[in-house]
Amino acid sequence: MSQFLFTLLNGVTLAAVFFLVASGLTLIFGLMRVINLAHGGYYLFAAYFSYTIMQHVHNWALGALISSLFMAIAGTIIYLVLLRRFQYEELRVALITLGISLVLQQLMLALFGGDAYQISVPQPLQGAFHIPGMTIGYPKFRIVFLGFAVITGVALWALMSKTKFGSIIRAGVDDTKMVAALGIDIQKVFTIVIALGCALVGFAGAVGGTSIAYGMGTDGDFLLFSLQVVIIGGLGSIGGVAIGSLLVGLIGQLATAYIPTMSGALPFIVMIVVLAFRPQGILGRKL
Amino acid sequence: MKISRRWIPAIVIVLAIAFPYIVPNPTFWVVNGGTRTLWIGLLALSMAFLNRNLGLMSLGQLFFSGMTSYTIAIMSAKHGVSFGLSIPLGIIIGTLAGLIIGWVALKTEGVYFLMLTLAVALGLYSLSLAAETITGGHTGINSVAPPKIFGVDIAAQNTFYYICLAINIVVFATCVWLQRTNFGLALNGIRDNAARTTSLGYSNSSLRLAAFTFSSFIASIGGVIGLFYYQAISPDSVGLVRSIDLLIVVVVGGASYLAGSYVGAAVIAVFESIIQDYTTYYVAAEGVLFIVILLLAPQGLMGIGDQLRAYRANKALKESSGA
Repeated sequence: MSQFLFTLLNGVTLAAVFFLVASGLTLIFGLMRVINLAHGGYYLFAAYFSYTIMQHVHNWALGALISSLFMAIAGTIIYLVLLRRFQYEELRVALITLGISLVLQQLMLALFGGDAYQISVPQPLQGAFHIPGMTIGYPKFRIVFLGFAVITGVALWALMSKTKFGSIIRAGVDDTKMVAALGIDIQKVFTIVIALGCALVGFAGAVGGTSIAYGMGTDGDFLLFSLQVVIIGGLGSIGGVAIGSLLVGLIGQLATAYIPTMSGALPFIVMIVVLAFRPQGILGRKL
Repeated sequence: MKISRRWIPAIVIVLAIAFPYIVPNPTFWVVNGGTRTLWIGLLALSMAFLNRNLGLMSLGQLFFSGMTSYTIAIMSAKHGVSFGLSIPLGIIIGTLAGLIIGWVALKTEGVYFLMLTLAVALGLYSLSLAAETITGGHTGINSVAPPKIFGVDIAAQNTFYYICLAINIVVFATCVWLQRTNFGLALNGIRDNAARTTSLGYSNSSLRLAAFTFSSFIASIGGVIGLFYYQAISPDSVGLVRSIDLLIVVVVGGASYLAGSYVGAAVIAVFESIIQDYTTYYVAAEGVLFIVILLLAPQGLMGIGDQLRAYRANKALKESSGA
């Protein structure tokens, strides 16, 4: 029972990291129909970057903040320089971002080598929570990170449904041209959403890099996780990302604990089954 | 111009047959240039066939070729089953995987399709990594000794090259022939106007699925060649970088031209062999080349002629309307 609960908690806290990574992806896609296939690379870069910053500033929160800001700026520059002029050619943009991920992968190999890294847990979050029904404690920082993901999710939901900016984004999702015709600078909205999505992945790099060791190949893994999450949950929907993250996280962890041979195959099979019945994903809009 | 174009396939085939005897340093170039081009070209062809005839870009081809390679390696190298059984079975499994994946993936279009097929290819990576007892985990299955047919070692440098060449000629000719049949014409109809083919009574979904399954069949044959080329299979050979590598070949050659697959494969093989002497990060150079091609010539090298013609026509049109 204790092991089962532990695995369950592992799944949920892993889902928190997936949520942070994939929400940026889905936010950008939702508005612009542009899929960033370098997202896994952005995640890994953010993890390396925040590690390096934290080595210098010795402060987890400051490191995570700088990482978010840096990714927001870098992601926006990449968008403005390489992607913006093709933003209505979805396929071309997707392919270009795959090229970016390849260059980024080599860049990270050159800068950080092939070793595995892990960011150390900040002092106040070390130690374990005692959870009723469990004989062993659960790492405190993972529970806090889960809280981060929940707060981020609520903040994104509030931004999208309670603010004027959110209603502009939602209108832009439905009809970009009409929004532009109403005198709203849609290009500016696009750029802000890109920056926000990239800031999220920058933050996810710090959070994920603390809970899970990373290194060469992590970019591909996280690209796969994010794709599974958004495909299962439905692209463009924050709620869909939450559901997708929970499913992928829980199934992955439960399979690793009880049927390790199937741990790679199971989330994959779930994805295929969901698609067979709902090609647009659980909460996605009709294709 | 028309007559000379007709001779191009014959000239290319003659050159390809003569290749091992005219190329300098054959021990290097036959393997790393010739056979590699044929192998990667075949995988690229499976993508280009789909893209040309259905307008779909699939990144899942390594799933099918990988399934085939793993099936053969597991059966023959680990359990001693004869190649006579494992090779056909491997191709059947790869093709069946195409049928199942296609059934689901073809419900989507465009960038969704791209994303989904990429997730499929990456799925095989994590699947083969996790199922260590069956697939050998990270190390994979090594030393897969290729079969001897009538005492002939098919892995011998030139023999393997000519076998690959023969397979490629047959598959390429089949693709060209298919494009001219009613089936191929119907596919082009679906690509250009799906509503119209439906109203004409075609079953779009089954035609699309047939084309997808055929392309996974080509990829499965590529899986057999790949397995014997490396005499090994591991998760890395179906990972993200490999999928992008293949995409680069297709895009550099020209994704809407069947022959572009071989142009791309040859260009990348030469590019890699040369640039490897200058930098260890040659994959990054390939990525930059890929981005530049996408920015400047999205139709690839084969499409540059068409692109220039369209540009000139456009310019002439503007000048005439301006004056």
